[in-house]
Amino acid sequence: MIRNRFGKVAAAVVVTGLISGIVTAPVHAASNTIIVWADETRGPNLQKVIAAKGDWVPGYTIKIVPFSSFDALKAAFDNATALTGPDIVVGANDWVATGAKQGKLAPVTLSSAVRANFTSNNFFDLSYKGVLYGVPLDVNNVAMIYNSKLTGKPATLGQMVSFYLKNKAADKLTAGLCVAGGGMSWGAASVLGALGGAPYVMSANGSVSVSADPVPADTVAANIKALFLDKNGKSNGFFPATDTGCKTAFLAGTVPYAIIGNWEWQDYVKAGFDMNLMPVPGVKHGTNGSAFASVSGAMLTTFAAAHGVDQGAKSLLNNFFGSTAGAVAYQNIELRPPANKKAQKDGSITAAQKGFGKAGSIAGIPQIGAILNGAPGGKSYWDLLPAFWTDVLVNGKDPVASAAKMDTFFQANIAAGVPQL
Amino acid sequence: METLFKRKVTVTLKYIVVTFVASLLLMLIMSSFAKREYAISIFLGFALFAMAITYLTNFSIPMKFFLPGMFFLIAFVVGPILYTVAMSAFHYETGNYISKPEAITQILSTGVRPDADQTTFDIVIGEDAGKKLEILASDPLNKKYFISSLTSKIDLDASTLKIDENGDVATAPGFHALTPSEQSALDAQLGQARFVYSSDYFITIEGGTLGSLKRQTLTYDKTSDTFKNVLTGAIYKDNGTGDFANVANKAEILQPGWRAPIWFANYTKLFTDPQIRKPLIRVFIWTVVFASLTVLTQFALGLLIALVMNRKLFGRRIYRSIIILPYAMPSIMSILIWGGMFDTEFGAINHLFGTHVHWFQSPLYARLAVIIVNLWLGFPYFYLICSGALQAIPAELSEAAAIDGASSGQIFRKITLPLLLQVVSPLLVASFAFNFNNFNIIYLLTGGGPSNTLGGDVAGSTDILISYTYKIAFGAGTQNLGLASAISVVIFFIIASISLYGIRRSKVLDSFA
Repeated sequence: MIRNRFGKVAAAVVVTGLISGIVTAPVHAASNTIIVWADETRGPNLQKVIAAKGDWVPGYTIKIVPFSSFDALKAAFDNATALTGPDIVVGANDWVATGAKQGKLAPVTLSSAVRANFTSNNFFDLSYKGVLYGVPLDVNNVAMIYNSKLTGKPATLGQMVSFYLKNKAADKLTAGLCVAGGGMSWGAASVLGALGGAPYVMSANGSVSVSADPVPADTVAANIKALFLDKNGKSNGFFPATDTGCKTAFLAGTVPYAIIGNWEWQDYVKAGFDMNLMPVPGVKHGTNGSAFASVSGAMLTTFAAAHGVDQGAKSLLNNFFGSTAGAVAYQNIELRPPANKKAQKDGSITAAQKGFGKAGSIAGIPQIGAILNGAPGGKSYWDLLPAFWTDVLVNGKDPVASAAKMDTFFQANIAAGVPQL
Repeated sequence: METLFKRKVTVTLKYIVVTFVASLLLMLIMSSFAKREYAISIFLGFALFAMAITYLTNFSIPMKFFLPGMFFLIAFVVGPILYTVAMSAFHYETGNYISKPEAITQILSTGVRPDADQTTFDIVIGEDAGKKLEILASDPLNKKYFISSLTSKIDLDASTLKIDENGDVATAPGFHALTPSEQSALDAQLGQARFVYSSDYFITIEGGTLGSLKRQTLTYDKTSDTFKNVLTGAIYKDNGTGDFANVANKAEILQPGWRAPIWFANYTKLFTDPQIRKPLIRVFIWTVVFASLTVLTQFALGLLIALVMNRKLFGRRIYRSIIILPYAMPSIMSILIWGGMFDTEFGAINHLFGTHVHWFQSPLYARLAVIIVNLWLGFPYFYLICSGALQAIPAELSEAAAIDGASSGQIFRKITLPLLLQVVSPLLVASFAFNFNNFNIIYLLTGGGPSNTLGGDVAGSTDILISYTYKIAFGAGTQNLGLASAISVVIFFIIASISLYGIRRSKVLDSFA
């Protein structure tokens, strides 16, 4: 009986070892595999490009890991460690400051040939404290589209408002201008710009001005009162404080102007709209509301060195992400405006991609996370601008006071953020 | 014979189950050990050992029943609580995530800067005759070529080299180029290598064919535990809270920092920093009001319906099924649907009543919406509980009171309600504790808003402690996990105290004594 029990225990131990050994063995990945994390659109498209041509880095295998959404990718990267994290992550430029502070992003050096493919603004977007952390991939911006079946190309914001107020009843318009892509902070930045404000003012030399007033309260408030409010100080309906239902309304023909994202232009083309893209016009002729035209980037992580593929990952950044051939191959599938200057001129890039690129070059400002994410103990731009729209367009608060409050926060953010650049 | 056979089958089954569970545990031990999660490995190892002793011997029969529950309790309740308490004593926020040695490595890495012209070279990675690593570098613009190793640099005579159309050289006498697979095998070594260029500058490899001219601008002195900027002469010293700070200007710190112990500083901040303290008090009051109102309204409506349904009613079974539906629906779906119904422009509620209420822009209406939705989600639970409890109250008591001339209102107040409360009191306490931390409803319905953002408010009008904690930990541009842990610990003590008081008052544990 005792021998029988020992036999069973011994058998149990052996089986235990075998099973756990078999299951655990495949956990370890090959050491020459470069892991790239990307979101739900870029990931599958990068997979297609790499599947078509996989020898961008001789001696290494490239594995693209797509995530279900951009937020899921960000959450995963926030929680990534040396053992779980990627070698390269394709993400937004405002991840750079946080990623560098957390020690998750590693500096990169690009060849002179690759550097020549991009603008200094592109590199500024992906730098933190003067150190470059990635390669620009695609331009991330919005542009205004107008419904040419309802109206023509507007020259000023005032023209748009006049058209809306005049035709509201006849055309059953639900709004004049709304934000269909990018939300009430990122997407609506161009509306604030058109009214005379900005999260920060860029100097002629490409740096952020610390002395300029980002939101001249009197000017912005006067423009809001004249264009967005009625005689009683309530919203005239031209510009809703929410982005809910904007895309549907524009596609249904009940909104003449909408701000759309460059990742979704195909939905409008499929619905029969021409790509009448332009920046949001300003109050005066010849002026435009500045919008964020940042780049997404392929960023090198510090995990690559821990995984023993640091050199392979750097080669992938130079050979594929930084090259014109790589950018064209990828953007022919991804269909966003490429950041690569030579790729922008390539014949295979569509008119819509070029339209967004043009809007970005006319009125684009860099998206600087160190400023926009807010001063310690302060408020982020991302919270402030939607609150501003709600206060003046929904809650009926005084536009001068609200603009002044927002201006104070913006100035504090600039003062805290600029030294970090 | 049959009994013996059954016993053999049972014992064999036991060994099979134990074997598979042990396999799973062993696999997890190996996996966690490989990921350097040593605490988890030790805990799982102990679990494996305890399981083997308990189930393969007759060491303790009661333990065979208690062991799985005990381990799950430790792993999923005690462990996270201890971890949260531990983290609340650390400077643990954006910029202070990693360990000090990792931070030093990172600072050294970002302290390597390219020269002003960002000079790069086309390189070939190879070895000399003695198998020592070296690079063959080309500078086509200046027509300079050289071989650099980790210890020396040899300039080459361009006239003796075979230069291609790009102005690069691929071979040189005594230089053996590595193949791509050889380079990938040496990746880690190549990443660390610094090839000689001049006294100040060296060349690093930035991918297979690119060399970059760099210098170390930040140096670390292990003895004094300080960094020095060789360009400015600035000295950066450990400031005791997880950062290297400039001795001359303490506000200037090197990044990244590390997770350093700051003991009770996060707790002190809760009560001394007005930016945290003021919203915290307001949020705490609303949390208590929200949890109390929720329990009160849910219980009242549940009891009312239970009393109605306790009587003979036509179609009672159908009504009961309908009433339980909100409880059967996934709450996330219900909350999102309610969120849409409360929408100012397109919501069914404003359309139905012909109003234009900004439900989620007004603090009062937003709070009302939260209570209404939570009432919808929770009343079926109390209806079920009260139905069961009402049926357990002997009918004779009510009948005797009625004979003595008591009105139905008096019977309810003096007999039914006191007896009912005896049964449901622990559940009311549990419900209060649950709603005190009811993150889902706040996060999904209002996101904690509305808040007077332009007025400087950190917390929204409907934020409860747990959603406010979440905002601090994950919601803002910078995440402060240490502070959020401290708030979590405070919440834990509040809920534990309330629950303990409620349970003692209800004397529910007396029956286990």
